[in-house]
Amino acid sequence: MRLTIASGVASFTAAILLYPLFQGGTWFWTSLGAVLAVVAAGLISSRLSLPAWAAPLLGLAATWVYLTVAFAAGKAWAVVIPTKSSVLELARLLGTGWDDIQRFAAPVPETRGITLLTAGGVAVIAIAVDLLAARVRRAALAGLPLLALATVPATILAEPISWPAFIVAALGFVSLLISDGRERVGHWGRAVLVRRTRSATSPSPSRSAPGGARAAADTRGLRLSGKRIGFAAILLAVLLPAALPAMEPVSFFTFGVGGRGSGPGNSISIANPIASLKGQLDLPERRVVLTYTNNDDTPRYLRIYALDTFDGQQFGMTQPKGAPQNRTENGPLPPPPGLGRDPQITNVVTSVQISDDLARLRFLPLPYPPRQIRVDGDWRADVDTLMVFSTREEAAGIEYEVLTSEPKPTASLLESLDGAQPNTDPRFLRLPENLPPEIAQLADEVTAGAGTTYEAAVKLQEFFTRTGGFTYSLRTQGHGNSALRDFLLRDRTGYCEQFAASMAVLARLVGIPSRVAIGYTGGVKMGDRWEVGTNDSHSWPELYFEGVGWLPFEPTPSGAAGQGSARVPEYTQPRPETTEESTSPTPGATSSSADEPQDPSARRNPREVDREGTVLPGELPPDDSMPLIAQIGIGAAALLLVLLIPAGVRMVTRNRRVRSLGFKVAQPADELTARMASSRSHTSVAAAWAELDDVLYDYGMARGASETPRALARRLTQQYEFDAGSAAAITNIASAVERVLFARDAGRIEPMRKDLRKVRQALAATTSRGRRVRAVLLPPSTLRRLRLLGERLLDGFDLLENIGLRRTAAQKGS
Amino acid sequence: MAVTHDVPPQLDELVSTAHRIRQAIESVIEGKSDAVRLTLTVLLAEGHLLIEDVPGVGKTMLAKALARSIDCPVRRVQFTPDLLPSDITGVSAYNQQTREFEFKPGPVFANIVVGDEINRASPKTQSALLECMEEHQVTVDGRTYPLDAPFMVIATQNPIEMEGTYPLPEAQRDRFTARVAMGYPEPHAELEMLDVHGGTSPLDKLQPVATTAEVRALIEAVRGVYVSQAVKKYAIDLVVATRHSPDLRLGASPRSTLQLVRAARAHAALTGRDYVIPDDLQDLAIPVLAHRLLPSVEAQGQRRLPEQVVTDLIRRVPVPETRAS
Repeated sequence: MRLTIASGVASFTAAILLYPLFQGGTWFWTSLGAVLAVVAAGLISSRLSLPAWAAPLLGLAATWVYLTVAFAAGKAWAVVIPTKSSVLELARLLGTGWDDIQRFAAPVPETRGITLLTAGGVAVIAIAVDLLAARVRRAALAGLPLLALATVPATILAEPISWPAFIVAALGFVSLLISDGRERVGHWGRAVLVRRTRSATSPSPSRSAPGGARAAADTRGLRLSGKRIGFAAILLAVLLPAALPAMEPVSFFTFGVGGRGSGPGNSISIANPIASLKGQLDLPERRVVLTYTNNDDTPRYLRIYALDTFDGQQFGMTQPKGAPQNRTENGPLPPPPGLGRDPQITNVVTSVQISDDLARLRFLPLPYPPRQIRVDGDWRADVDTLMVFSTREEAAGIEYEVLTSEPKPTASLLESLDGAQPNTDPRFLRLPENLPPEIAQLADEVTAGAGTTYEAAVKLQEFFTRTGGFTYSLRTQGHGNSALRDFLLRDRTGYCEQFAASMAVLARLVGIPSRVAIGYTGGVKMGDRWEVGTNDSHSWPELYFEGVGWLPFEPTPSGAAGQGSARVPEYTQPRPETTEESTSPTPGATSSSADEPQDPSARRNPREVDREGTVLPGELPPDDSMPLIAQIGIGAAALLLVLLIPAGVRMVTRNRRVRSLGFKVAQPADELTARMASSRSHTSVAAAWAELDDVLYDYGMARGASETPRALARRLTQQYEFDAGSAAAITNIASAVERVLFARDAGRIEPMRKDLRKVRQALAATTSRGRRVRAVLLPPSTLRRLRLLGERLLDGFDLLENIGLRRTAAQKGS
Repeated sequence: MAVTHDVPPQLDELVSTAHRIRQAIESVIEGKSDAVRLTLTVLLAEGHLLIEDVPGVGKTMLAKALARSIDCPVRRVQFTPDLLPSDITGVSAYNQQTREFEFKPGPVFANIVVGDEINRASPKTQSALLECMEEHQVTVDGRTYPLDAPFMVIATQNPIEMEGTYPLPEAQRDRFTARVAMGYPEPHAELEMLDVHGGTSPLDKLQPVATTAEVRALIEAVRGVYVSQAVKKYAIDLVVATRHSPDLRLGASPRSTLQLVRAARAHAALTGRDYVIPDDLQDLAIPVLAHRLLPSVEAQGQRRLPEQVVTDLIRRVPVPETRAS
């Protein structure tokens, strides 16, 4: 009976964890109703003493009736009895609910279908919990279905479950366990020895109770222990993770950051970049995503993602790897891959301000290639792609400064580079085997006559922008295998995504490593800042040339008939001689340093960033990163220090006691000094006695509670075969303690430092070395003191609990 | 370096007198120094002693030796089933000459009363001792006659399983400060006994070594032995523990607490200490408490004797450990 109700409560509290998945509150009440229906069925089963297998069937039936009433009352007979049409209605609702769930991302709107699915799911969980806890009597196992319910939001959402909700759910489960324990013990009879007794002498509570008045089992003590353990466990579960340092993804442990599947914790969730791109472009009104300024006042493409894998359907992203040493705060980022010494470098500082409204972006929009970033929080760079991302922070609302070292290759330089084997990951060249042969054919046709890879790349870009007859339209849908073929060979209509992906594919076909960048174009100038809006979302291919690195290309038509703010890079212009910087600013070009002689920075260590005084207003923070070994060392040292705390405490205590042992006994001149001396001698005796007690405890020969000083001295002398000196010393101490504790006048007491030392040496001689080392490093006496402290705390709790009990007892009596 | 451990002057005389008495008794009873010591302790604690053992181990000899070594009136009562209360307390007899009833004091009017085989008398007679033991007075025919100090009853009894015995009622047992068992002597002590007792009884040669006044002074000195609050608390803890032990049907009475502390005082004084330590209480707990306790049915079933229960309790009850100020 009680278990059934507790099962229902536990199921419902676990269901509360689902709250972040929904937009409204209907599901809550519907699920509550479903749980109530299951509980009612469970109560009936208990009352009728149905066999264990029948109870879940009854529960299912009750759930069915409830769902019929709630969702298909109109089609049911007399509202309650399910009919064929009501069943069909429920099935239809389930179908639409399923579709809705596929369609929407959390938090989902509460359609009837989704609510039905939720209520049904919660009811099934409640039935399982009831079966396990109340029928099979395995309450602990009932945690599994509850856990399954709790993992639903955890797997769908990136955010961790909020702790108050977790506490509520955990309390539900604990109450289930407690009531199971009560029920179980209630069948045995009186619980024995569960309550801590202060000593063996104190009367047991049952004895002092009026004789025989309590026939029922006394489970108060058990309940108390259960509650204590449960609450302590919940408290630990909530507090401990907060206190622990978060797991750092360390590259040599070979787990990168997160998956696309995305769960809570340290992984990052990447909403499908392409879908979000299309979504942003489709938005009816333009919203500002970010604004930026830079020191040469030139718009630049801001890249967020670099998609490197092509599966025949679409481009996707390999999990970025953020090693701790590649934190932005650790100084310069890894060098841009493939960048040699030949191209001119332009250093640009860009200050970016991201809008507050940008939801769930964990990558920084950055001009390529970023060299150094000044940003708050734990942001890390992926070595291969230089994407900068975080597992904890979100980009919304932050401000940062980025230093980029932009290569400015000339067309002639790019032509001269031909022949160098691209030294990149083969994944940038990988294509699916089932790629239609027409596309490969097209690639060959387009690049026919190109002498170098660079020429081939330029021809490809020209194919899209000029010769191919492509038109720009946002209407196009899809990006599958056939979509690629359709786009390239048939309708030649699409938007940046198709252009970028197609060019990347064609580039791979002719042997140029490529990837698809997703981000924003440079935007438009508003006042003194560049403003980037949702309609500036863009996608473009990046092609790799050994010696220069990754270079953006722009196959998408720009201007009014295309992507408004797209710009064709300078080096891809057919005639490099006609530099038209003033008329067409390009992402790769800067006016400030275009004609400067060879940049000396290019000859330096590629990891070192050239800090030009004019470019950087101030020094970026120096590299204060700490090697991993040092971090581990510091951690180990801290751990060691923590472990040595008991030893330290012990040493301090011992020193204090020894100091109070060494008092000098002067001949007392008058009564007052005599009394003072005697009180000091008492302190000294107490110190010696306490110290002896601790030494004994540390060496594992602890004094028994009923052992008098005299008996202790006798035991030690006999058991450890003390020589005469040690025996006299221990007898001395015992006798002094005895007199101080029990005599009317303790009389004259000699300092006991020497006696104590002698006894300690005699004891140490009889113990093993390991024991002695342990007594020094991890003294059990200090641990005992800690335990006593804990017990005192528990006594306090007991006191509180007793006050409560006494009050209820008084109420019962009145 | 040695801790001063001198006997306080006020106990000097006590220790030497007690030593003399002990030596006197031990010249008669060989190898029973514990029993002798306990006997002296009870004497100095103004208590009464119950000696329980099988016949023939020297119970009566111990009682008589103590009585002899002190120069004081000693009476001996042989308890038999037909003994009447008036045989102990005394009777009022009509004096023809004075034409008045005259009180003829019974054997209890002495400093030391040896009650031999006390459990052979009927309970009625046994209980005649109740008043005199506790209140040191006798009431006959409405008149109360005080007894001389010191007054000590040394009773011997055979184990209650023996034939022809009436077990002492709880109230009666509670009045005895301590119970001691003699036990069989060691073989060498028995051999010595054969040598010594072969010809004459050594009891006859025993001369008193202390006077009544001396014993009274000793008792006075014992009263001055200091008992700290901690030790009093420990005594109470021990006694209370017997009342809550699941092994016992009847725990020890408050009177036993009183007697335990009194006996501990005497015990401390006999070792020349003018303060009581928990060891005194631990040493005396079994003889002082065990004979008053009734084991529970479960303990009886497990054949656990009250002595064992008390031993357990001593082991469990923590000794006072007040931190010296």
